[in-house]
Amino acid sequence: MSSVDKTIWDRLFLVLVGAIYIFLMFPIVLVMLLSFNSGEFLAFPLEGFSLRWFESLFSNKRFLDATLYSVRIAAISTIVNGVIGTLAAIYVARHARTGARNWLRVLMTGPLLVPEILTAIALLFFFYEIGVGTDYSIGIQIGHIVVTFPYVFLNVSSALFNFDRSQEEAARSLGAGPWMVFRRVTLPAIKPGIITGCLFCFVISFDIFNISLLLKSLGNNTLPLELFDYLRFNFDPTAAAIASLSIFLTFAAILIIDRTVGLRSLRF
Amino acid sequence: MSAQAPARVESSGRGSGTWMVVPALALLVLFFALPYLSILTMSLREASTRAVYADGFTIAHYTTALGDGFIWGILGRTLMIGTIVTVLALLLGYPVAYHLARSRSRWTSLLYIFVLSPLLVGLVVRTFAWMIILSNNGVANQALRGLGLIDFPLQLMNNTLGVTIALTHVFLPFIILPLLGNLQAISPDLAMASRSLGASRLRTFLKVTLPLSLPGIQAGTILVFVLSISAYVTPAMLGGSGGRTMSVLVVQYLIDSFRWPAGAALAIIMASVAIIFVSLYLRLTARAMRRLP
Repeated sequence: MSSVDKTIWDRLFLVLVGAIYIFLMFPIVLVMLLSFNSGEFLAFPLEGFSLRWFESLFSNKRFLDATLYSVRIAAISTIVNGVIGTLAAIYVARHARTGARNWLRVLMTGPLLVPEILTAIALLFFFYEIGVGTDYSIGIQIGHIVVTFPYVFLNVSSALFNFDRSQEEAARSLGAGPWMVFRRVTLPAIKPGIITGCLFCFVISFDIFNISLLLKSLGNNTLPLELFDYLRFNFDPTAAAIASLSIFLTFAAILIIDRTVGLRSLRF
Repeated sequence: MSAQAPARVESSGRGSGTWMVVPALALLVLFFALPYLSILTMSLREASTRAVYADGFTIAHYTTALGDGFIWGILGRTLMIGTIVTVLALLLGYPVAYHLARSRSRWTSLLYIFVLSPLLVGLVVRTFAWMIILSNNGVANQALRGLGLIDFPLQLMNNTLGVTIALTHVFLPFIILPLLGNLQAISPDLAMASRSLGASRLRTFLKVTLPLSLPGIQAGTILVFVLSISAYVTPAMLGGSGGRTMSVLVVQYLIDSFRWPAGAALAIIMASVAIIFVSLYLRLTARAMRRLP
């Protein structure tokens, strides 16, 4: 193949990839543009720069309450799963017998393999049957923990799988105890997996809708639920302002991760 | 970490870390496996007009649902949307993952953000963005009319088309990320070796890179398929009655009409179909991967 052909194919490929990147970003950029638009409607042409929709957002107590509630649920899910998911991944990769390992893997990734809406329905019936109902926040919290568990488990498992065990054996043969080996060899090696898993856990918990829809206790809406309810009756740029705000927060989070562990460590 | 000390005394070694799995096991058995039995028992309960269910048992909800052409239609539509979205996501996601895995540019971090941010923005927000684009007075119709291509707005939402477009966008990162991890793990030396032995770029891709990335393709496609057939938000917001899927129907049964046993039966039918689909797919792809040299 001549070098001329190569550049043509390279350019075509770049055009294709560029178009897909635009497809990925277009709706998000659009929402951001419209959130700063002074016009009444979510449509073009843009009329002028304005922060009025952000003012309308920050004066809305329901959105602020919902945001805090979502953050609380996501934070608790992340902490719980960060601990028990990592431990379970290490057990399955290092200690489980071959026969047990397979069904443990199926169980541990189960919430991801079955539709989230089904887990929500199952938990709704279950809590109703054992008499808890949906009167308390504990139902929705447990739902979030269950559904986001596989993200930590899978990321840590994958980090363990890619990690060369002979390093652990070398440490052992040099006289380090199991706890020392875990803290000084295994943990640093799987740290990117844990961080990625926890990040996903938090973001997915913040984002999931079905569990919250069916298990929410009265008067406690998560942010996605509040937005969903809002959009039923209002189709105005306040919703776009919420979107913009969550995009800014996301970019901040991504920058932090890029600076600390590096985005390239992302694994599934 | 006092549990570690006795664990070391045990000579068996393998079973020594059992305590590590106990919390996760308890969580998933108690609040995941056990509740699924509740769907089963609920689906066999008799319907009641006074409460969400009555005490007696019956299989009537299954026979009614399976004899109903309307429900078969919705099930078929759900599976069709799931399949199309999965294929589209693979076709659009592979080039991006391939490009990102090879990219050495200093803009790579920015491109990562492009891929990640739709994932982190939130389902309701992203679907809302697609409502702005696809509605009758939306951006897409405005643009097409501005270009003089159409006189009347096209019906882009409240049907299967809108749901398919939005779901493809919504779940695209879920196929790019596993593929990316997989492609990054493939040593570039392999492709280089193939090229230096005289294989063309296309042949190198088809015979070296593509087969080695099959595990990533498998993981990503299953993820996207399961996510898209079970999606509730996007079809509920964009589907209208013309794009209604199983999830939307089940939630209507549970929340709007309080027919819990009948809704449970529908949920079981949907779950069984999903399990059959995924296990067939796993078997097929596993065979394809074993046949590789």
